[in-house]
Amino acid sequence: MKNFNIILGLVLLGLTSLSVQAVEIRDYHKEVIGKDCKACHDNGIKQFPSDQSCLQCHDVDELANKTARSEEDKWQNPHNNLHYGKDLPCQECHAEHKTKEPLCSNCHTFKYDKHKK
Amino acid sequence: MSNVDLLGRRKFIAGLGIAAGAAMVAPAMAVSEKADGVKWDKEVEIVIIGSGFAGLAAAIEATKHGAKDVHIFEKMSYFGGNSAINGGLFAAPGTPMQKKEGVEDSVDRMVNDQLLSGRGIADEALLRHVASHAVEALQMTLDAGAEYHPYLQQLGGHSVARTYQTSVSCGAGITQPLFKECKRIGVHTHNRSKFEGFLVGKNGEVVGVKMRTNYHFGEDQPGKVLNIRAKKGVIMATGGFAQNVNLRMAQDPTLTSEVGCTNAPGATGEGMFEMFRLGAVPVHLAHIQSGPWASPDEGGFGYVSNYAIFNFPHSIAVNRLTGKRFMNEIADRKIRADAELSCRDEKGNPYPPILISSYKDSKNHPNTKKVIKYNVGWKFDTVEDLAKHFNVPLDALKAQIEEYNGYVKSGKDVQFGKDMTLAKNKTIEAPFTVVRLWPKVHYCQGGVQINTKAEVKDSFTGKPIGGLYAAGEVCGGIHGISRLGSCSIPECMVMGMTAARSIMKA
Repeated sequence: MKNFNIILGLVLLGLTSLSVQAVEIRDYHKEVIGKDCKACHDNGIKQFPSDQSCLQCHDVDELANKTARSEEDKWQNPHNNLHYGKDLPCQECHAEHKTKEPLCSNCHTFKYDKHKK
Repeated sequence: MSNVDLLGRRKFIAGLGIAAGAAMVAPAMAVSEKADGVKWDKEVEIVIIGSGFAGLAAAIEATKHGAKDVHIFEKMSYFGGNSAINGGLFAAPGTPMQKKEGVEDSVDRMVNDQLLSGRGIADEALLRHVASHAVEALQMTLDAGAEYHPYLQQLGGHSVARTYQTSVSCGAGITQPLFKECKRIGVHTHNRSKFEGFLVGKNGEVVGVKMRTNYHFGEDQPGKVLNIRAKKGVIMATGGFAQNVNLRMAQDPTLTSEVGCTNAPGATGEGMFEMFRLGAVPVHLAHIQSGPWASPDEGGFGYVSNYAIFNFPHSIAVNRLTGKRFMNEIADRKIRADAELSCRDEKGNPYPPILISSYKDSKNHPNTKKVIKYNVGWKFDTVEDLAKHFNVPLDALKAQIEEYNGYVKSGKDVQFGKDMTLAKNKTIEAPFTVVRLWPKVHYCQGGVQINTKAEVKDSFTGKPIGGLYAAGEVCGGIHGISRLGSCSIPECMVMGMTAARSIMKA
């Protein structure tokens, strides 16, 4: 019974820490989103944000311009890439509650120094 | 937050062991049900499952034949499936470029090359059907805006040069234009949509599908399941199962999670399972092909694969222990993959062989720059530097190069019987570019049995299952034991088009 209580306590602690989990990776998100979960979780708190969620603030064309590369490497632009153009959902490479590798790293050794894991 | 990625989804190690991810992805159980009394959430004309070459070609062809309400459902968040990350190599007989280059070819010749590699168990009728319509399929890609390198390549096992390659050296050079064309002509596309089973009518015919929405691959987030009625039929274009380690090991125990894989993470085969459950005939599931052009220095298909495919005809593959060649560099894929796997160190551990090319010839492919830049291939000014870097016996290597250069001049490879046509005047000389080779699981020759109308045969009645069509890698038996390179894209495209024509009765 004692063990059970300890486990229950741990589970509750886990739940509590989950519930206060806010933006954790990008400081600039702290300022504009803070702990307003619904700002991103437009499908309900327990669901992943929709693929349109990030686009409330971010513009794909703008991002593609920002990360554009030289003509020779133009298709390595993560926001306008060879395999999926501009259609790759943000969440494939970005997350706010855990670390993520860029999708490209499945097959390529590209370096994206500014990518926040 | 810790660094632990519980799903192991992106743990693709750029080494010999790759694709731990697939082993962790346990596909949710999909089950078919009787449609009797089902409440339909949605009613559409044609359901296409999968958005690779086959699915996209089917959607375009169906629309061309008058379909007005075509829907493509894709499990992943992105469209294109495995087709978006392969070499973009397209074989066809009697093409405009062959006429320009003076290459004599025919449907018969292409089929015969494929039958040889199929080692007696390929499906000649299907091969002939695909080869006969390959030029039409090539034209569909051109019409959609696909662009190709201005030269043909001769891939392993092909008796002539008949392979086009997209100018971006990737299947995305076809899937992107086809996807845009689908959008333009009004095909409805749905990502994050997971097929969960068929809905079956009174006579065992497929009348609809169960489709999970808002699906996040590899994550535990149950989206809502919709019952979707398909008025004209369902086309399964769900691809192979090379990323399903349990299933591929059930067929071939040597294909453990340690063996790399070129496929997209979604190639796990649930659509195929569900067709088997419905009664489809399983064919050749144990014939799973590894690509002999892959590199242990990067994940998946990467950059080296296309580099190697282009360079094999005028390069030598050398065992680093002996400094000698060990295979015909343009034999079919199985012969080469088996030969590479036999390159081992004294303890029997993998000792990846090297492909040595002359820079003067290798530089003609755009990937050469990339492999050097991204440190998955290396350039050497002298044979001494090369031998030292890879610890190859120098004298043996020098002797091998000299011997091979003799074959280039005589046009006859006494060592391994390589067709030296494309090696003409291309002696091996410094500076060199070199990559390491080690096979990766690439293609499933097995799948469901279909006929030349892309109908799926029922194992009990021997007749086609009503309302059900399949196209692409999910189908089995077409290629037999070993598929020739660049023969999958024409097959996917032609059978996708064929499924659409059958469904539209065109």
